[in-house]
Amino acid sequence: MKNRIKVLRAERDWSQADLAQRLEVSRQSVNAVETGKYDPSLPLAFRIARLFNLKIEEIFIDEVIAGE
Amino acid sequence: MPSTQNNQALKRYSRRIGITMGFYCLFLVVAEIYFTHTHSSSVFAYMLALSPALPCILVFMTAIQYLSEEKDGFQSMLFNHSMLWGSAVTLSFSTIWGFLDNFLSLPHFQLYLLFPMFWATTGIAGAVLRLRYR
Repeated sequence: MKNRIKVLRAERDWSQADLAQRLEVSRQSVNAVETGKYDPSLPLAFRIARLFNLKIEEIFIDEVIAGE
Repeated sequence: MPSTQNNQALKRYSRRIGITMGFYCLFLVVAEIYFTHTHSSSVFAYMLALSPALPCILVFMTAIQYLSEEKDGFQSMLFNHSMLWGSAVTLSFSTIWGFLDNFLSLPHFQLYLLFPMFWATTGIAGAVLRLRYR
């Protein structure tokens, strides 16, 4: 699933490791989510949204809706 | 294996595996020494012969416990995939060897070797998967 995590992270000047620490997951997990290779669990998606102070749908792009 | 610096589930898993493998080594050495000098089929001998298998079974319990404690879904997924590869390789090997042994009378494969084979292939699969998600 496509997402804006890399952009949001860059805006805050956070490395993947910084974000991983804030989310309490591994850096690999952040990388996998960021590159769209792994879809996060719903709790993790909420944690990401809370951290960036955004709604989930403002971070993760629903490709079905985006394609319409 | 999963990798996170502050992953408490991983630390507990590693500690449990270390203790379990310590008992495995101890039981194996004691059984080896005993059966080198003694040929017995007493109840004690059966228990001693089985003793190295118990920590091996505990290792699987520990792995299941780790999966239930791991909060990082991605790490759980990697661990699951690695073990699935380990199972696939080990079962495929034992099935192939079993048929060859049955039809062509190949040397018997020592079944206790399936345990290290499973974990070795699980470890290799884990490393390969980690490279993919590096």
